[in-house]
Amino acid sequence: MNYILHIFILICIYIILSISLNLISGYAGLISVAHAAFYGIGAYVVALLALNLGNYFLLNILCAIILAGILGAIIAIPSLRIHDDYFVIATFGFQIIVFGVMNNWVSLTKGPLGIPGIPQPALFGITISSHLQFLIFTGIFAILTFLFTKRLVNSPFGRVLKAIREDEIFALALGKNVIKYKILVFIIGASIASVAGCLYAWYITFIDPTSFTVQESIFILSIVIIGGTGNLWGSVLGAVVLLTIPEILRFLGMPNAIAANVRQILYGSLLVLFMLYRPQGLLGEFAFKRKG
Amino acid sequence: MLLIASLGIFIVIQNIISLVFGDDTKTLRTGVVKEGINIFGARITPIQIAIILTSLTLFVITSLILAKTKTGKTIRAVANDPELAIIHGIDTNRVILYTFGIGSALAAVAAILISFDVDMVPSMGFFALMMGVVAVIIGGVGSIPGAAFGGLLLGLAQNLGVWKIHSKWQDSIAFAILLLFLLFKPYGFFGRKVKKVQI
Repeated sequence: MNYILHIFILICIYIILSISLNLISGYAGLISVAHAAFYGIGAYVVALLALNLGNYFLLNILCAIILAGILGAIIAIPSLRIHDDYFVIATFGFQIIVFGVMNNWVSLTKGPLGIPGIPQPALFGITISSHLQFLIFTGIFAILTFLFTKRLVNSPFGRVLKAIREDEIFALALGKNVIKYKILVFIIGASIASVAGCLYAWYITFIDPTSFTVQESIFILSIVIIGGTGNLWGSVLGAVVLLTIPEILRFLGMPNAIAANVRQILYGSLLVLFMLYRPQGLLGEFAFKRKG
Repeated sequence: MLLIASLGIFIVIQNIISLVFGDDTKTLRTGVVKEGINIFGARITPIQIAIILTSLTLFVITSLILAKTKTGKTIRAVANDPELAIIHGIDTNRVILYTFGIGSALAAVAAILISFDVDMVPSMGFFALMMGVVAVIIGGVGSIPGAAFGGLLLGLAQNLGVWKIHSKWQDSIAFAILLLFLLFKPYGFFGRKVKKVQI
């Protein structure tokens, strides 16, 4: 039973991640492979604060959101000068640097050894520790994220994002402050991703840099692309599909060492096939076009 | 988008390699490790000399192909303006296909040489990918001398950086340089200026 609950908890965490990346990549059209960096920042901030300063639930999560937001704004700045592939590469670079900091700043993050024994959060006097409690806890966050983002993309703000995605020059010509919107969407997306990181750190109670690599970023991006860009239900569906398919492999009796590789081969080839034949994803409304 | 699809292929191939050959380090070296040759106080191994010579030769050959032959001309035409290339009767998809072929073959040459110098692990491609991308952007996309110059600059910056900063930060240094370039000189040293805002 705990195994099923575990998968549901992970699905909730990935729904939060994919919805926040969908906001950036699907609605604003800025493809980013730096999402695992923000995810990791959330996890590390919460873990380090809880172990060194005290396990305050709201305060720690707020600190994670603020730090991720600031870094999100910084990564958005290159998007004002560079576009398309160049921007993807810039986010790639940001991801490598953040991973480098997690992996190499040993005195702060304990490097590759990771941080064990992260205390679980206490809310109104109740410590959240069992799988069921965690499922409810992450589920609430996933639903809140969904409702917040839904509200956001249906607002005038969301319409401007779509306008930037479809035709940046046209949005400029209409007098929209494209720069402001791009920075804002990155701040919001990064903040939500850091919340997912907090949940992950609390749930697993152990974090190390290998959970926040470029491969993880590409995985989150493939959830968004396969589920459907510019559609929130698509992100939910993508997270469910991409997290349950590898679990089926487990029941086929595949040894763990092979299953990890097969899992990556699976989502890598899905990503390629979707880019070739259905670039808008399962439920998407917007396709990244080929250049030229 | 091609870039995303290529990241997908990267993941697939890397994992196939690790499935087939295993995750342990493999070596191509035969015989014992010998002391390098002393040239002006610097140590260099014969294989490293071979790497330098091969890369120079390939650099010249690739430049000549791009500059002089008909194939090279069509490649440059497609890069410059795909639509105009189609109008002139160039089969752009075909050109893209064999450009990818040539590029991948060159990468394979680099891979074999590197495997003789240091050993092989399935994830070794990732480092090459990162450094290749950084070198190309620093030098300027679409310029072969630019790529060579970018590679040289990157190698120098990384290895001189080790003087002051611990070598574990090499990757971070490379990408910090990349981010600085993307911010202040996004088209590198020799790159053409491309803008999204083109009317």
